Amino acid sequence: MLFQTDRIGYLKDKMLSEPRYASIEQALIITECYKQNEHQPRIIQRALSLKAALEQIQISVEAEELIVGNRTAGVRYGVVFPESGSTWVDKEFETLPTRPQDRFHVHPEDIETFRKVIKPYWEGKSLEDVLNERYGKEINEIGKVVKINQKDHAQGHICPNCKKWLAMGPAGLQKEAKEKLKTCREDKKDFYRSVDLVMEGARNFMVRYHDLIVEMASHEADEEKKAMMLKVAENCRNLSIRPAQTFHEAVQSTWFLFVILQMESNASSFSPGRLDQHLISFYEKDLAEGKLTRQDALEIIECMWLKFNEIVYMRNSHGAKYFAGFPIGFNIAIGGQDEQGNDYSNDLSFLFLEAQKHLGLPQPNLSVRLHEGTGEALLKEAVRTVAKGSGMPQFFNDKAVIPSMMELGIEEKDALDYAIVGCVELTTQGNNLGWSDSAMFNLNKALEVTMTGGKCLLTGEQIAPDFGNMEDYQTFEELEAAFQKQIDYFMDKMILACEEVEKVHIDLLPSPFLSASIDNCMEEGMDVTAGGAKYNLSGIQMIQVANLADSLAAIKQLVYDEKRVSQKEFLDALTANFEGYEILRAMMLNKVPKFGNDVDWVDALGAKWAEYFKERLRTFQNYRKGPYHTGMYTVSAHVPMGENVGATPDGRYAGEPLADGGMSPVYGRDITGPTAVLKSVSKLDKNLTTNGGLLNMKFLPEFFKNEAGIQKFANFLRSFVDLEIPHIQFNVVRKEDLIAAKENPEQYRGLTVRVAGYTAYFTELADELQNEIIARTSYGDI
Amino acid sequence: MKGRIFDIRRFSTHDGDGIRTTVFLKGCPLACAWCQNPEGISIKKRPLHFENRCIHCGTCVAKCKNGGVEQKEGSIQLHIEKEEDWERLIDWCPAGALEMDSRECDVEEIMQEIRKDLVFYRHGGGITLSGGEPLFQWEFALEILKQCKKEGIHTAIETSLYTDGEVLKKVLPYLDHIFADFKIADEKKHQKYIGVSNKRIKENLKLLLGSEKKEHVVIRTPMIPGITAVKENIQDISAYISSIYPEVSYEILNYNPLAEAKYHLIDREYCFEENPKLYTKEQMGEFESWARLGGTKNVIIE
Repeated sequence: MLFQTDRIGYLKDKMLSEPRYASIEQALIITECYKQNEHQPRIIQRALSLKAALEQIQISVEAEELIVGNRTAGVRYGVVFPESGSTWVDKEFETLPTRPQDRFHVHPEDIETFRKVIKPYWEGKSLEDVLNERYGKEINEIGKVVKINQKDHAQGHICPNCKKWLAMGPAGLQKEAKEKLKTCREDKKDFYRSVDLVMEGARNFMVRYHDLIVEMASHEADEEKKAMMLKVAENCRNLSIRPAQTFHEAVQSTWFLFVILQMESNASSFSPGRLDQHLISFYEKDLAEGKLTRQDALEIIECMWLKFNEIVYMRNSHGAKYFAGFPIGFNIAIGGQDEQGNDYSNDLSFLFLEAQKHLGLPQPNLSVRLHEGTGEALLKEAVRTVAKGSGMPQFFNDKAVIPSMMELGIEEKDALDYAIVGCVELTTQGNNLGWSDSAMFNLNKALEVTMTGGKCLLTGEQIAPDFGNMEDYQTFEELEAAFQKQIDYFMDKMILACEEVEKVHIDLLPSPFLSASIDNCMEEGMDVTAGGAKYNLSGIQMIQVANLADSLAAIKQLVYDEKRVSQKEFLDALTANFEGYEILRAMMLNKVPKFGNDVDWVDALGAKWAEYFKERLRTFQNYRKGPYHTGMYTVSAHVPMGENVGATPDGRYAGEPLADGGMSPVYGRDITGPTAVLKSVSKLDKNLTTNGGLLNMKFLPEFFKNEAGIQKFANFLRSFVDLEIPHIQFNVVRKEDLIAAKENPEQYRGLTVRVAGYTAYFTELADELQNEIIARTSYGDI
Repeated sequence: MKGRIFDIRRFSTHDGDGIRTTVFLKGCPLACAWCQNPEGISIKKRPLHFENRCIHCGTCVAKCKNGGVEQKEGSIQLHIEKEEDWERLIDWCPAGALEMDSRECDVEEIMQEIRKDLVFYRHGGGITLSGGEPLFQWEFALEILKQCKKEGIHTAIETSLYTDGEVLKKVLPYLDHIFADFKIADEKKHQKYIGVSNKRIKENLKLLLGSEKKEHVVIRTPMIPGITAVKENIQDISAYISSIYPEVSYEILNYNPLAEAKYHLIDREYCFEENPKLYTKEQMGEFESWARLGGTKNVIIE
């Protein structure tokens, strides 16, 4: 029987109780380093400043830690990173402790130092400022329809080649760089020099941890504890000179990789990928030699799981709204298939689930790859983990993902080995700059300007060309034709903006440490930002197809097919945000079927435009000569994206959130049950979501209460695989959700509850019964 | 052939194994005082008004011709005996608050709905016929079951067994699983609370538990406070069924407090003035022990 040790309980409490601060320490080191190396090429400046940070930044260790290392001395600090952007920091420094989302404490003296030393140096030089100068106006002009990303931070969402790192370590990679330097072309020398520098820094960083722990151990009276500390210290020293040899070293080595990647880029989502595969040989060897027990391995894994929660990502207040909860996306994919298509899960897959059950923390973002051959044991264990209520693991579908990646041009062996970065973004491992968050395209705003002749419903401003308005369109087809023109217009502008963003990244943020762990870059002597990777993709999110399908269906049916309402009255109702048009709004809500109920003609409307968008997008090539492709996910962006859209024909009020997820139906509009939701979503072709899709479903804890329920869920997931839907995640409904459902029944109409053996729609229950269900819904119940 | 149904519900997870689609056939010869689907008793169709969906726009009141709809103290009341074009009024209602309680359809229409979830039945699951009493329209039920078996779909039924033995014999070959109710053992009490004698039901129990499908049968008793949830009743039922087939499965169903709300919908009085609560785990455990006393070994409680 596996258990969580006292060590883990102690470390978890300690981590969660420490205050989060904004930190300018690395910013100061970097700024100083740039000042001293003004004449150097940018890639050398970047390498030198990372090396300096690795050698100078304060470090700390908890005596109980089995896995050590962080990018700041404190845990969960928000790092100010001037190379990518600090204008927002200047504007928002004072409000960091009080802003509505993702707060950080601030040392007042840091604000002063920042304004005296850091800000003046970087003004006009940071990624943010340079981009603003070059293309800021154009980016703003399309801002209401297209949100361009990566404007003030480095590109993340990358899966480095963990296997290569484990096999070579920084010493091996440094040696490789030195060798290349001897024979390479003159113009490649800076690249290899920079790799040499950062690997030197990485090795020194590890030695510093060794020295610190040895020092701490010298004061430790408890012999057992002291021995363990010295072992951890020894791991660090070993890793500075040779690759990992034991499971414990391999886990430590993996963690160092991610700490250093974060120190280089301070970007969202560097993900380990298929970690159960990367580590299995070390695990099996130690187990066979009697050096390790399953319980030992679990404790080491849980120590690393805690570390994944110690690095958070400080976004500006706007960004924090889009990606709330500072997610940093250490995504780990377990299970899936091997190169022959056989099931690839192993004992570590189970230990990872066990660790998630014990800790229930937001990181790592645990993903299970399902396929037809997934074992029943792993599937059920994953469902039991979901039932714990953390919403994890989420599930990905090999049957959807692998063929769609191949259709995009990915080689079969790479597609079979896919992993996930960040939340749900799909990637190949160790050879891909996926640039998965290039932009978000708000299809609902595009529909709005189609109806208004280019005017914003919220401000009345002309924000798009006038291709006609609702009153001009005599048929639904005419409206669709104008909608197409608006999509084309904004897509063309979006592509130009994306190119400018990529250029600035190439010019300002070459990343030698990252490049060394991405296939092809070391071989070619080319930085990853410049297109050095084997695969160079750009992902655009379509926001949100569910609202779009519902809106188009309402227009088609009420205005053009049944003619229940005139074009003018329809537009007037939206302009008035339904004030005085309550009956029309009720018709929009209730007389027209909605996406998520397995109604073919409605589902087809959404699929049609997603398909159009994808096909047209695929005709463009990004600046690194790779393809653009589409995704359907928003994290939390459906909220701010919705704030920006006026009343919509699906009956949604102005400013209300759009559908959550990306593939999910609009809240409360799915009233035919979960199987109908899956059927509707499955009509969105898998090739629409090669950049990732997100389907969110809510269930009450009762569904998972007994093994029969677990079994039904496992069956449900088998059908999910058959339906070739790329992704699904389950939120186990909490008490608070039910209280909200009682207050806003309209948004929760699809929520079913089980009362003993009977199922009913929660919002249709009598008051007292609702209260009773609320009273007995809690996780303790499971 | 056409039949009358009042609901088709997908993702039913408690009417048999796996993920199922339940078809509710309208009409029932019984009149259980606590009936949990009272809208399914009458075979006739009628309009219903759902107060919680209503936006009180008054459209239906304005459009009705003979006073079939009335707004009283802010809430809508239907007078279904009045002559109205109800379908037209339902179409007018913007909120979907007016609805027919049932619809007539042919087997193919039902099959189309059933087939939508084929991909789920593949991993365990299928269809369940419920009601009403699904065998009240037995010819229609039989056609659906035959078609399902033709298409390889697992079938189940929830029946009161209040039907002709010959009918039961006809449908049995097409059923993979049978949930059969035996609610009250005492004939007089059965007559009193259910409106009919239980003779027929007892005979059919013999037939069912003596048939080759007996391993796929679950006998059920819903726990109704003071009526069925009585020691003597549970013990007697248990004794009767286990005397026919000692290995019989017997399920004790907890009281369903959700039914009460439906009575307002069809202007009927519920059997309890104050809605009883669900039985606790302990109480259900006690019922189980009574059932065991009666002789049944396989007792199921959820």
